[in-house]
Amino acid sequence: MTTLGTLLLGAGTLLAAVATTLLGVGYARRDDRFDALVPRVVAGAAGLLVVSLVYLTYQFVVTDYSNAYVWQNSADYLPLLYRVTGVYASNAGSLLLWATLAAVVAAWAIWQRGPGDAEGRLVGALTMGVVAYFGTVLVLDSPFRHVSTAVSGGVPTTGSGLNPLLIDPYMAIHPPLMFAAYALLTMPFAIGAAHFVGLARRDDGLFAAWRGAVTRWLRAAWLLLTTALALGALWSYTVLGWGGIWAWDPVETAILVPWLFLTATLHAVVNYRPRDRYALLAPAMTASTFALVLYTTTVVRSGVFRSVHSFADNGAGLGIVVLVGLVALLGVGLPLGYWLVREDDHEGSGGEWVTRSTLLHGAVLALGLLAFVSLWGLTFPVLRDLATGIEVEVTARYYNRWSYPFVLVTLLLLGFYMDFDVEGKRRALVGLGVFGAATVVAALYAPTTTWQLGGADQQATGLYAVVGQVSALSVFPPVAYVVLAVLKRGLTRIPGAPRQTKLKQTGIVFVHIGVALLVFSLAFTYLFTGQASVIVEGNSETGERVDVPDSPYSVQALSFGSYSVPENPDVDRVALSTRDINRRGTATNGTTQTVHGTVTDIRRGPSATVYQLDDSGVWLGVTAANGTTTTQFARGDEVVARGAVLWDYVPQAAVVVLTSPGNVGPVSDPPASLGLTRVAGQTVDLAVYEDGQQVTVGRAAQKRYPRQGGMQTREVIVDRGLVSDTYVIAAIQGDTASLTVKRIPLMTPLRLSVAALLFGMLLVFLFDPAHGVWTRLRSPSLETDPATSD
Amino acid sequence: MNARKSLTAVVLVVALGVGYTSMSTAPVLRDDAYSYHGDTKWHTDYERAATIADEQNRPMLVYFWTTWCTYCEDYDENVYSDPTVRDRLDEFVLVAVNLDNDGSRTSELVNRYDANYPPQLVATHPNGTRLVKINGYVERDRFLSHLDRAERRMDR
Repeated sequence: MTTLGTLLLGAGTLLAAVATTLLGVGYARRDDRFDALVPRVVAGAAGLLVVSLVYLTYQFVVTDYSNAYVWQNSADYLPLLYRVTGVYASNAGSLLLWATLAAVVAAWAIWQRGPGDAEGRLVGALTMGVVAYFGTVLVLDSPFRHVSTAVSGGVPTTGSGLNPLLIDPYMAIHPPLMFAAYALLTMPFAIGAAHFVGLARRDDGLFAAWRGAVTRWLRAAWLLLTTALALGALWSYTVLGWGGIWAWDPVETAILVPWLFLTATLHAVVNYRPRDRYALLAPAMTASTFALVLYTTTVVRSGVFRSVHSFADNGAGLGIVVLVGLVALLGVGLPLGYWLVREDDHEGSGGEWVTRSTLLHGAVLALGLLAFVSLWGLTFPVLRDLATGIEVEVTARYYNRWSYPFVLVTLLLLGFYMDFDVEGKRRALVGLGVFGAATVVAALYAPTTTWQLGGADQQATGLYAVVGQVSALSVFPPVAYVVLAVLKRGLTRIPGAPRQTKLKQTGIVFVHIGVALLVFSLAFTYLFTGQASVIVEGNSETGERVDVPDSPYSVQALSFGSYSVPENPDVDRVALSTRDINRRGTATNGTTQTVHGTVTDIRRGPSATVYQLDDSGVWLGVTAANGTTTTQFARGDEVVARGAVLWDYVPQAAVVVLTSPGNVGPVSDPPASLGLTRVAGQTVDLAVYEDGQQVTVGRAAQKRYPRQGGMQTREVIVDRGLVSDTYVIAAIQGDTASLTVKRIPLMTPLRLSVAALLFGMLLVFLFDPAHGVWTRLRSPSLETDPATSD
Repeated sequence: MNARKSLTAVVLVVALGVGYTSMSTAPVLRDDAYSYHGDTKWHTDYERAATIADEQNRPMLVYFWTTWCTYCEDYDENVYSDPTVRDRLDEFVLVAVNLDNDGSRTSELVNRYDANYPPQLVATHPNGTRLVKINGYVERDRFLSHLDRAERRMDR
């Protein structure tokens, strides 16, 4: 059944395709005939996609279960915020959000610049092509499908609910920010790709002319992606990882890959010089970021990975490996080979190793290598499974131990680069030597085994074992080096500079110090998190204070409680009346429904009791458990039951709703098995003491979602301290709680480092004298000045 | 070749080295017949395991897991590698179902045992009747008590 939403989507997609064609033809023929029409078509496509998204959001807000996607991802017990965020809880909705944002970005860009010259048309054609592609995917797998394509028996009265893990404020903001970043990356992709098309057509390409735009798009995406990552980590801290902000699961790792690559790309792009530095690499990286985003999205949504698995089962595994190899060869190997043998790369061609440009290149490569470690960890288990049928395990150990040495090298390189800028080569080399040696010495000294990165890991061999033995002290010298060098460089560059440069340089100082502190706090947060467990029991009075073994903590259970959501389920809303059953007719035959009504007649048989509801043709058949009828209702009782609706089951009744005693009860007190309760929560109020001093009083909760396979989530107590966070997780059963008390150090510097990073990024994004947003508005003439970049 | 190009070549070689080393040293989770968890070995073919359970009249233990599930790693490290647990597990016919291997058999088992997220364990009678279900991660001692309960129910 085609729905209004699908029609809107189809119309938007059609307009996007028309715009792509007009722009493509305009580019190929160098023809400006369609230039006046294009902005309107593009605006139309963007407008229709926005309307589709708003319409889907509206369906979520009013819980319109005639839409299968709404029914699958929402429920009316959810607060308004989570009914709205249900829109992007699953594949189709998030793709719609992405496509809409990409269309808005494309429309804005075309509105700003106009289709302009031939290159501009090609960029427009590529961005709108992406939108049209997404649109087509969405029309084929629409988020507006009618619910009858998913269930029979008419429109359900209740929704399946939202994944409980997504019911969290951080998760409400995290996805839209991420998809906004992805959408912004469509522009750099189009510009990068159009550049290569230009080169292939033997002109100069457009990268040099569009460099300012590319930088701004990339920086905006970088800022949003970093914010999204930070929010995701905070979500993990309280909801998923219970005290852990990073666990290297595929979803987290997948998002880190484009972030690292984007960071490397930005370093290449701001140092791009036409016909000289990064003339090929910068546009190539710009063009490939989007491909990485697509790849990681498939990992996150995992659909493709699954189909790859089933592909392997069909014995076609090797084909895929070959395909991946070919794509990598064409996409990466070819440009790289071209660049390696190309001759017109002037700077540094004298073989000088220590130059600013070599160091910057080192930074780009180091970030690329880190991105590779994460990408490879995600990919090689799949490749190996495809090629050999053997599944291998990739755990945090792989990511931590390969990344650690590269991160240290990157930090040393960063410190050296910053120092080199101020002190010149000779003194900077001495500095690098000192801090490098200090790093090696620190790596060999571990005050206790806790300081060793690998802890008690006995099984490791090779490099895993070597890095496992390294002391976390080794992170001190590189971090100190970066902080000192960055501050020193900032102090020489900021005073006396024009205001714009001052702000940009301040931003650069914040970003790099933020990164150094982030690495430092992350390493120690993980190594020095300590935890201990204890069981507390409650009674009618306040419980006693109990010491948590092997820790400085003691806890006291103040009270236990329980609650359910919704508190008094409105049976009229969630269960069908006898009139509803009759109105829906035989479409309900064989389906499972919740029904309610007043008992008007009773027939007892040997294996079942049958109750007539509301004097109608609808009868409730309650089977007897073990030959005895346990359910007894009298005439006039209002009952509710969940069971199979069977039309023409027996000659005496039009409809029998067949159920068992556990699934039927009075409306005033429906049985739990009906699933009317969506959340069953148990709570414990606790006082937590550290060394005898009260640290916090709070409520920990355990929430169970009966309708979602009994899935559980916890609300934890987090007491944020200056030095460490105290974190309490509770598993509650009646008046007994099993508590885990964690002490998580260095969360304050970690939060500050993220704040510094974001603040610095914002300053650079806004005030860069060459390519800043604010600057461009005020003085467009600075656009072409490449000398002030970093 | 200038400095930047040489550096790139070096980094590429490093990346290839990382790639090759990590791939060849990664611990095996599953081969043609078994899936490996901690120090234990689980069947991956449900039918074959069911036949063995039936022939030997032993209970089955079906483990629903994924490679990305951190609590599955906890099971590997804290529970399955424990000698007492290993001895007790020998009394069961073990089957591991990777929820990400999206065969039709997997979804059928997921539906049958209502196990759509990892980790979950279901102990069953060889005839398929459910004996005990463990949702999520439990510590070693509770894990053992679940196994006890499964065996008691099996003997009934």
